[in-house]
Amino acid sequence: MTGQAALTPHGATPGAAPAPRIAAPTDWRGEAMRRRIARRYAAERRFRLMGLAAVLLSAGFLAFLLVTMVGNGARGFTRTQIALPIDFQRSAILIDPALLTGGNAEQALAGANLPAVIDKAAETAFGENGARMISPAAQTAVRKAIIADPAILTGTATITVPASEGIDVAAKGQGSAANEAAVARLQQAGALSTGLNLRFLTASDGTDPTLVGIWGALKGSLLTMAVTLALSFPVGVFAALYLEEYAPRNRWTDLIEVSINNLAAVPSIIFGLLGLAIFLNLMHLPRSAPLVGGMTLALMTMPVIVIAGRNAIKAVPPSIRDAALGIGASPVQVVFHHVLPLALPGILTGTIIGMARALGETAPLLMIGMRAFVASPPHGVMDPASVLPVQIFLWSDEVGHGFIEKTSAAIIVLLAFLLTMNSIAIYLRNKFEKKW
Amino acid sequence: MADMQHIPNVKMSAQGVNVLYGEKQAIRDVSIEVDLENVTALIGPSGCGKSTFLRTLNRMNDTVSGARVEGRITLDGDDIYGADMDVVQLRARVGMVFQKPNPFPKSIYENVAYGPRIHGLAHGKADLDEIVEKSLRRAGLWDEVKDRLHESGTALSGGQQQRLCIGRAIAVEPEVILMDEPCSALDPIATARIEELILDLRGNYAIVIVTHNMQQAARVSQHTAFFHLGRLVEQGPTTEIFTNPREERTKDYITGRYG
Repeated sequence: MTGQAALTPHGATPGAAPAPRIAAPTDWRGEAMRRRIARRYAAERRFRLMGLAAVLLSAGFLAFLLVTMVGNGARGFTRTQIALPIDFQRSAILIDPALLTGGNAEQALAGANLPAVIDKAAETAFGENGARMISPAAQTAVRKAIIADPAILTGTATITVPASEGIDVAAKGQGSAANEAAVARLQQAGALSTGLNLRFLTASDGTDPTLVGIWGALKGSLLTMAVTLALSFPVGVFAALYLEEYAPRNRWTDLIEVSINNLAAVPSIIFGLLGLAIFLNLMHLPRSAPLVGGMTLALMTMPVIVIAGRNAIKAVPPSIRDAALGIGASPVQVVFHHVLPLALPGILTGTIIGMARALGETAPLLMIGMRAFVASPPHGVMDPASVLPVQIFLWSDEVGHGFIEKTSAAIIVLLAFLLTMNSIAIYLRNKFEKKW
Repeated sequence: MADMQHIPNVKMSAQGVNVLYGEKQAIRDVSIEVDLENVTALIGPSGCGKSTFLRTLNRMNDTVSGARVEGRITLDGDDIYGADMDVVQLRARVGMVFQKPNPFPKSIYENVAYGPRIHGLAHGKADLDEIVEKSLRRAGLWDEVKDRLHESGTALSGGQQQRLCIGRAIAVEPEVILMDEPCSALDPIATARIEELILDLRGNYAIVIVTHNMQQAARVSQHTAFFHLGRLVEQGPTTEIFTNPREERTKDYITGRYG
C-alpha cells in the first residue's frame, strides 16, 4: 500500500533537447514489409484451416459412430413376427374357462400348458421344425390374446407371435442356410411380418435374445445415478464452498486441495476396489445393488464437482461479495444469496461432466458385483440390478447373433439416456445463468 | 500531524489507528473524527492508504487475510473492534458505496429490498415497497426507474448503477455512509449527479468520501484530511486546506506538483 511514491514533480527535464533520430524512417510500403504482411495473412489462414479441420474431423468421427450405432441398433428395436394359427378346440389346453374372467387370469394361464400348445400348433402349421421357429416369448402374446378375448378358446384363432432368434436373424439377412430357407417358406405362406419390439424396452436380461430387454438395466442406471447425484452433488458443493469461502489458507488446505485434484485422476477401477473393501466387506451392504454402485460412483464424481465448483466460486466477482458484506449480510447470507446462485451454472457444468463419466463407467461396478445376471428390474436401491454399460458389456460377450443387434440397441438407449441427462443439466444451467 | 480540533456531534472517531498487512504497515497513527453536519473527504495520492483507512471504519478489512488494525475506532462512543460489537450489524449502520458500481445481478427492486429484508426492517410487502421507493427517491433514481423496477440492475448506465448502490446503502437506514471514490468510473454528468446527491444527503448521514479528484473534494466536503504514505498529514475545514494549507506536502499535492 505504501508505495514509495517519491515527490517527483511533473514536467521534469526542462530545456532538454529532443533526442536525435538514430534510424532512417521505417519504410512501410517497401518489399520487406509487403512480404511480412503476406506471411502474416498466410499464418492467419493456416490457423483457421487447422481449426476447421479439427472440428470437421471430430464431427466426422461422431457422425460415423452415430450412423454405425443407429444402423445396427435400429434392428434391435424391431422383431420378426409369425402369424400362428392355433386350433384351441383340438389342442388339449388345461384351463378352466371360469378362471379367465376373474382378476387371476394371468396366474391361471401361467399354470396352463401353453408352451406345449404353441409348439404343437407351430408343428401343425409349419412342419416338424415349426416349434423352433417360434420364440419362447410367444406364450406372452398368446396369453394376452386369450385374456383379451376368452372366446377364442372355443375355436381356431390366428395369433401374431414373435419368431425365434434364428428366424429373426435370418429375416434380417444374416442367418444360416436352413433358417434362410425357413424364412422363404414362411414368406411364401404370408405368415411373416415385422413389428416393433416393445419387449426390448420393458423386459430385463434373459438367455434368449428374443426375450431380453433393456428396462432392468435402464432402471438400474436410473437408481444408481440418483444415488450418485444425491451423494456427490451436496457433498461436492459444500466442500467447494467451505474450501473457497471459509477454510484458512495453510498447509492443511493445500494438502486437501492436492488430494482432491489427485482423486479426480485416480483410475476408476481403484474406486471399485475401494467400494468392494468398504461398502461390501466392511459395511456388509448387498452386492450388486444400485445403492453400492451409486456410492462407489459418487466417490469418483465428487472430486470433479469440487474442482469445477471451486473454479466457479472463484469466478464470482469479489465486488459482489463486497456489496453484500457492505450492507451487512452475514458470511452465510453472502454465500447462499449471492455466491452460490452466481456459481451454480459453473457447478452444474462440472456436475454434467462428472455424471456423464459415472453413467458410462463399467469397471468399478464390476468390482462390486454388478455383472450378475439379473432377470427382473430392481424395485429399489437395495435390489440386485444391472446398469446400462455393464449390460452392454455382458451382451457383447454373448455368442448368439441375436445379441449383436441388442448390444447396439442398448448403446442407443445409453446414449439417449446420456443426452436426456445432459439436456436437463444444460437447461438448468441456462436458467440460472446471469450476467453481472 | 495536524492538531485535533473539536467538532460537535461526533459520530465516528478514530484514535491512533495503525493498519498492518502482515509485516507491511499501510496506515500509521491516524486520528480523525467524523460528524453528522459535515462531509469528510479523504484525499491523497494513490497508495497513500486512504481507501484502507476508509475500510477500517466498517471493518471491511476483516475479509482481507493477514490484515490487522490497532488503535481505537468508535461509533457513538462504542469501540467497533470491541468484543460486543457485531460486525454484521456494524456494516448495516456504517454503509458503503464502492469505487466500481456493483449492483447485484438482480432486479432494481431486489437490489434495494435486499438489505431491509435480511435485517428484518420491513413488515410486509407494502412496507418494503415503501422503503424501496423512499430509498430510490433519496438516491435520485426513482423517476428514472419507477416503471422498470423489475428489470435487472446491471442493465442501468454506470451513473444510474452507482445511484442504485447508494439507494441500496440508504435502504438499511445507516448512520454513516462511506464512499470509496464513488465517481471514478463515471462521466462528468453522472459525477455531477452523485455530487448533488451527496450534498442532499449531508446532515442525514455522516458521510466520508475518498476521492482522487480535488475539485470534487472542494465541492462536496466541509472537512478534508490529506493522507500521504500511510500517514494523516493534515486535516481541517476544506476551505482552509485548499486555500491555506499548513504543510508543504499538502500544498504541493493540491497544487498538482505530484499525485
